[in-house]
Amino acid sequence: MKQYPTSQEVDFVVIGSGAAGGIMAKQLSTAGFSVVVLEQGGWGKYGREHEYNKDEWLARNVSEEDRLMSDPSRQRNTFRHNDKEKATRGSHSYGCVVGGGTVTYGGSSWRHMPWEFKEASYDSTIPAGTGMADWPVTYEELEPYYTQAEWEMGMSGLRVDSPFVAPMSKDYPVPPVPLKSSGALFNTAAAKLGLTVVPGPLAIITKPYMGRAACVNCGICSGYGCQVRARSSSAVTMIPLAEKTGRCEIRVRSYVREISTDSSGRVTGVVYFNAQKQEVRQKAKVVILSANGSESPRLLLLSKSARFPDGLANSSGVVGKYLMVGNGGGASALFEHPLNEYKGVISGAGIVDYVGSDPKRGFYGGGRLTARGYLTPLDLGLDGLSPEAPRWGAGYKKALREEANHRMTINCFVTQMPLETNRVDLDPDVKDEWGLPAMRITLTSHPDDFKNMEFFRKKSIEILEAAGAKKVWAPPINDTRGGAHNRGTCRMGNDPKTSVVDKFHKAHDVPNLYIVDGSSFVTGGRNHPTMTIQALAFRAADHIIRNAKKGNIRTSV
Amino acid sequence: MSTRKKSRRSFLVESAMGLNAAWVAANYPGILAAQQFVHSATQKGQLPHLAVFTEAQAVEIEAMAAQIIPTDDTPGAREAHCVYFIDRALTTFAKNSQPAYIQGLQDLQAKTLQLFPDAGKFSALTSEQQIKVLTQIEKTPFFNLVRTHTVIGFFARPEHGGNFEKIGWKLIGYDDSLNHKAPFGYYDAQPQPKLTGAKA
Repeated sequence: MKQYPTSQEVDFVVIGSGAAGGIMAKQLSTAGFSVVVLEQGGWGKYGREHEYNKDEWLARNVSEEDRLMSDPSRQRNTFRHNDKEKATRGSHSYGCVVGGGTVTYGGSSWRHMPWEFKEASYDSTIPAGTGMADWPVTYEELEPYYTQAEWEMGMSGLRVDSPFVAPMSKDYPVPPVPLKSSGALFNTAAAKLGLTVVPGPLAIITKPYMGRAACVNCGICSGYGCQVRARSSSAVTMIPLAEKTGRCEIRVRSYVREISTDSSGRVTGVVYFNAQKQEVRQKAKVVILSANGSESPRLLLLSKSARFPDGLANSSGVVGKYLMVGNGGGASALFEHPLNEYKGVISGAGIVDYVGSDPKRGFYGGGRLTARGYLTPLDLGLDGLSPEAPRWGAGYKKALREEANHRMTINCFVTQMPLETNRVDLDPDVKDEWGLPAMRITLTSHPDDFKNMEFFRKKSIEILEAAGAKKVWAPPINDTRGGAHNRGTCRMGNDPKTSVVDKFHKAHDVPNLYIVDGSSFVTGGRNHPTMTIQALAFRAADHIIRNAKKGNIRTSV
Repeated sequence: MSTRKKSRRSFLVESAMGLNAAWVAANYPGILAAQQFVHSATQKGQLPHLAVFTEAQAVEIEAMAAQIIPTDDTPGAREAHCVYFIDRALTTFAKNSQPAYIQGLQDLQAKTLQLFPDAGKFSALTSEQQIKVLTQIEKTPFFNLVRTHTVIGFFARPEHGGNFEKIGWKLIGYDDSLNHKAPFGYYDAQPQPKLTGAKA
């Protein structure tokens, strides 16, 4: 792999190697630029993916070296519901390895609906006082990049003609994953209720593609590295191509603590901690910030200077605000015959009819219902039985026998509105392991978000009953406190007073800083963010490359 | 707690110490079965030596585990070697739980004596009596710890010392081949209804 001396000013530093960072690294290096990727996590099993174990006990006791997700005891964070509360220790965690969250995610790859980019002006059900706003990008502008992402990463799915699914200009490169019993039960319910079932588009290949093997339906999927490289993570798609250019260096265990600027307000490079926690400076002509929707705003807030007293690129004051982390809800059920849902991908089929908001429901909100089972043996044994099942003894054993493989779960992925009060900022008291102010998350979902979750909870029950369930249960709804789907915190917009980046992800305040990840989202979609992050990244890269090739990168991007 | 090797005889004598002699006589077959298992397992070299528990402690923990996932017409926690999983876990990932086990065993003993003053040892109680004791402590952190570790020992990969001969996986019909082909279950093998919603 190419190695650059830290004294050398490279064309681009990319912070993060996940869904967006991996694409930026590959696109920029392929276009001929020198690139250093700074990844906070380690290599994982990069290049030797067959060594990923499928061991549930080890996964619960992972060593620092083998971690694929951030460790809330090191990457400390705090949580509070609102400004009146004192934040307490949080459990927010995100992908932290070469490839980021795409190394372990379930792989759901739904595109946003065309109208999701202009929902604020389109949808009369949106209540006043929220941060709902139109995107400065249209679906039509983004569509070619969705297609590019699907084909370059390798997404499986079925192109369908439905008012509830985004139109595509091209088929998926590989067919959808095989129907699971949970999907078949969706079909049964949908036939009775007149609903629409679509195979989940997934970043999991079902046929050999671009030198990678097809999914073997091992079943120990989300949360685990893929041994056969069927999951189309940045680590097996983009990063190897970036490395192959000979112009891209991936520096792991590199935790950026500051994006540095000069007196003219231009970015000059970054300062990061290496694995030994020593500070290293890396100069760059341009910095691409792709650290995820929670760490990107935090790094901007950490990068204060005399010129940027409220944090870098934050003259609008909205860096970190409008945080969306993802809401859900759902229900589980037992059926007469075995489903064996532990086999295959986690998320097979979706019911999509409720993707849009509907005035008749009396609130704003929409989402998708996804059919899931995915109870691995330990999950089942520890906490996976139906609520009344005994926790030990003869009754427990009987329930294990009867419920195993007979269960399915509906997980809903639903809207969460951007609210100015929901945000990431710096905790005034708690420090992370590197001595930097810890991330503080302040978050309470909008009342309509709760009504929407309850709507999907009830729909889930209705669908499971229509599918013929013997027993249905649904935990009470709640909003999340963190997680991998962080969005909205450096929102995109045309007005520098109300947004952080422009429609091509350039920071309004800083000419050579781009912020490309979930933080760019204006609205949250239906909490399936990765496909749109990837499309946005391909589009941003196109724009940057086109301009950078015009002349001096430092001034022309 | 340390590794100790003992003759079968001294092991049994020590394990029975402090018990009411008449009670021991009445319940001897049960005690013998419990102790014999740990003893023979450790002596025959089929299993790793206990690293943390003494054999006497292992008998108590195993008696608890065997109530959490009992043996009926199918094997339970005892046959799955959950106690060996726990012993090993306490030297590795669950090292921090060692003091909780030491204290918990003392509390178990106290609760046993409180309910059954003549018994002396939890493992020496009848099954019904053991269930009575455990029902009284089932909300305690110690019980939950043993429950968690027993379940993990039952279902974690066999190389961690439990789930002997995939007993746990067999109970729930889990095929660990990590390579499956459709149809996966009953419902996806049936003819599917025609849906009108989305056209491919």
